[in-house]
Amino acid sequence: MPADAPVAGASRRTRSPATVVAGRTALAASRSGAAWGAVFAVAVASSAVSYGTLYTSRASRRALADAYGSNHATSALFGPAPHLDTAAGFTAFKVGMSLMLLGAVWGLLTGTRLLRGEEDQGRWELLLAGGTTPRRATAQGLVGLGAGVAVLWALTAAGTVVAGHDPKVDIAVGSGCYFALAMVATAGMFAGVGAVAGQLVATRRQAAAWAATILGIAYAVRMVADAGVGLHGLVWASPLGWVEELGALTDPRPTALVPIAALTVVLAVVAVTLAGRRDLGAGLVPDRSRGRSRLGLLSGPMGLAVRLVRPTVLGWWAAIAVSGLLYGLVARSAATAVTGSSVHDVLSRLGATGSGAEAVLGVCFLVLAVLVAFAAAGQLTATRGEESSGRLDNLLTRPLSPAAWLGGRLAVAIVVLVVGGLLGGLAAWLGSASQHAGVRLGVVALAGLNLVPPALVVLGLGALALGLAPRAMSAVVYGYLAWSLLVVVIGGIGATGHWVLDTSVFHQMAASPAVPVDWTADAIMVGVAAVLAGCGIAAFGRRDLAGL
Amino acid sequence: MSADDAPVIATRGLTKRYHGTDALVDLDLEVAAGEVVGYLGPNGAGKTTTIRLLLGLIRATSGTAAIFGLDCRRDAVAVHRRLAYVGSETSLWPGLTGAETLHLLGRVQGRVDDAYGDELVERFALDPGIKVRAYSKGNRQKLVLIAALMTRADLLVLDEPTVGLDPLMEQAFRLSVGEARDRGQTVFLSSHILSEVEALCDRVGILRAGRLVEMGTLAELRHLSALTVEATFAGQVPDLASIPGVASVVVDGPVARCQVHGPVEPLLRVLADAGVTGLLSREPSLEELFLARYGGRDTGPVVDPPASPDAG
Repeated sequence: MPADAPVAGASRRTRSPATVVAGRTALAASRSGAAWGAVFAVAVASSAVSYGTLYTSRASRRALADAYGSNHATSALFGPAPHLDTAAGFTAFKVGMSLMLLGAVWGLLTGTRLLRGEEDQGRWELLLAGGTTPRRATAQGLVGLGAGVAVLWALTAAGTVVAGHDPKVDIAVGSGCYFALAMVATAGMFAGVGAVAGQLVATRRQAAAWAATILGIAYAVRMVADAGVGLHGLVWASPLGWVEELGALTDPRPTALVPIAALTVVLAVVAVTLAGRRDLGAGLVPDRSRGRSRLGLLSGPMGLAVRLVRPTVLGWWAAIAVSGLLYGLVARSAATAVTGSSVHDVLSRLGATGSGAEAVLGVCFLVLAVLVAFAAAGQLTATRGEESSGRLDNLLTRPLSPAAWLGGRLAVAIVVLVVGGLLGGLAAWLGSASQHAGVRLGVVALAGLNLVPPALVVLGLGALALGLAPRAMSAVVYGYLAWSLLVVVIGGIGATGHWVLDTSVFHQMAASPAVPVDWTADAIMVGVAAVLAGCGIAAFGRRDLAGL
Repeated sequence: MSADDAPVIATRGLTKRYHGTDALVDLDLEVAAGEVVGYLGPNGAGKTTTIRLLLGLIRATSGTAAIFGLDCRRDAVAVHRRLAYVGSETSLWPGLTGAETLHLLGRVQGRVDDAYGDELVERFALDPGIKVRAYSKGNRQKLVLIAALMTRADLLVLDEPTVGLDPLMEQAFRLSVGEARDRGQTVFLSSHILSEVEALCDRVGILRAGRLVEMGTLAELRHLSALTVEATFAGQVPDLASIPGVASVVVDGPVARCQVHGPVEPLLRVLADAGVTGLLSREPSLEELFLARYGGRDTGPVVDPPASPDAG
């Protein structure tokens, strides 16, 4: 587990009043680890169980193994796929790369939030003025992060072991725990990367951006290693490659734990050491405090909103476009793989009309819809942040009504979502066109737009929460998103009734481009979103401004 | 204060209650055009609540608040066209430079005297090319002050505006408020710095536990408190404590210090008979008035533990 070695020594030196940081961080990290762990567990369990329902015949399993087993395109994107003829091998391939990346993202977000975000908010100042030093506080923070990773591991392991009990899945308890360890290894390593980045730069946002860049590089290096171009040795140059080398659920090779543990420990030690060498609130890399003034956008509240969300929005757009591009790239080979399997039957039953690749994209676009909806949630959090930080006071004490301000922020968010959806569709077309998959531009572009209505519902719900219960807004929005996601994931393996499915905003969306866009459903979602947002704006204009 | 002008600020029975706690009770306040009014009170007395109500950022539980005859909440946008506000703990956008912030706030305000803005930037010695996150607290405060003052708004609402400013900048601030007054702008100044209020304000209101306990010119308020008298005697110090209106007598060798409420004549008569070699008397400072108000014996229950009144 990460961060144990350097931290044990540090916590022995600290007296009990000073362990407050470890306790606080552990609580926050465990809470978030539990939420993500639940998603991990459901994802692992549902794909393990679904294998038995989707690939019933020996022949369909062999077809699957043949299609992916030596496919360099999918191997580059999602990692190699040995043993696709077993439920365990299928599960490792289906969720492995996604969870590895999600774990890394969780690690870097949580690591920077708890070690740097707290400092940005000025809370560490109070702690450090008391009975602790920056080094001790950082060491304690790392212990707390370790607790969060442990919770994430425990839930993932539980999900795997429970699903593994099913004789059709058949994963031993030991293998399940080892697999869970592989899935959270990136969480530990990238929490460490986030912790070190947090010492180098002066804000949490910058630290997260640095850590995300390193994750991107690690992914790219592993991609080259798995692309079948004779550079497989590069797999040892990327932390994601090490996790792959663990061979969880297929060919276990625990020696790859050595570099994983070593990197985690080294990062923790470096973070603690650097913490003692910098000023509070500053980074070791000097911050550019002087900037050229660019007044272009700053002529009103909407321009300000654009300026403020621009960096994050570019990130979301890039994530959506890259995902769309990747889905496009693999759509054709995936279509070949599912032909003859019951996946194909499922798609046909859904009314799939397009080519095989379009049918596959219909399933992949659910992930894009989730990304676009999370972008909506991000816009809402940023909007609420303007109020809770008190920065909104500067605008509302000038001739600007609360309703006009919130309306403007929502308008900016709508543009962000529409462009995001279109980008996803166009990128998917671009990827599939490069593989001559026979995917039609018009159809995929519309499918991209089709991603927007669910995100608008999330935006409307958030606006209503912002008007009625601003402090609960984040919980409402992310809670509903998690619920919607859970319902479609479980619904995908046929485990829930229809009325439960109806509560998920993603279930309301047609699986385009596999099936034609359902304009009625989209119109209803847009209508619901408009009513929710209207009520939210009205309520916002009527209530007191609310701080943190 | 000219009586025929409609008041710039007028509140009637203005009350704000948070979850059963009275933040502000029954505030009746009137500020006339061109007046500079100080608003005093200890932490938590309700100063900021009053100002947020006047700005329409929060709703009144009961009562009314109007600025320029317009309802503070309903007509907030129209009211805000004619006022400028400075808060004590303003948070700004950390990624924007000073110049960007001033530009943005000016554009949102709509009406700005750019030449005066430049003058203020110079007067407050602000480097506008730096990002807000790199400014010190004092520099951030200067930025908000400049953004408000450069609007030349008819009404300036200032909530502890000089928190974090050094004495030089405090001078620059006083100069700027003086200019605003000379131009006929109305100023509502909530402050902890009594010398600042004493130097700038025509009238002073004192708030305590959500209630306005005193409102008047400094001269009017002084009558409420005692005159401090210090006398040096050639011989024996006479018994001063028994003279009507005299209190808090402290004798230190040949020097006696006391406070006089009401007419000073009885004391003067005793002093003249006793052979005084030196006599000092002065009116109470605003600080003494303030402390008298909060150290109070006759002002009802004291909420905040006050400092003991110091006759100096």
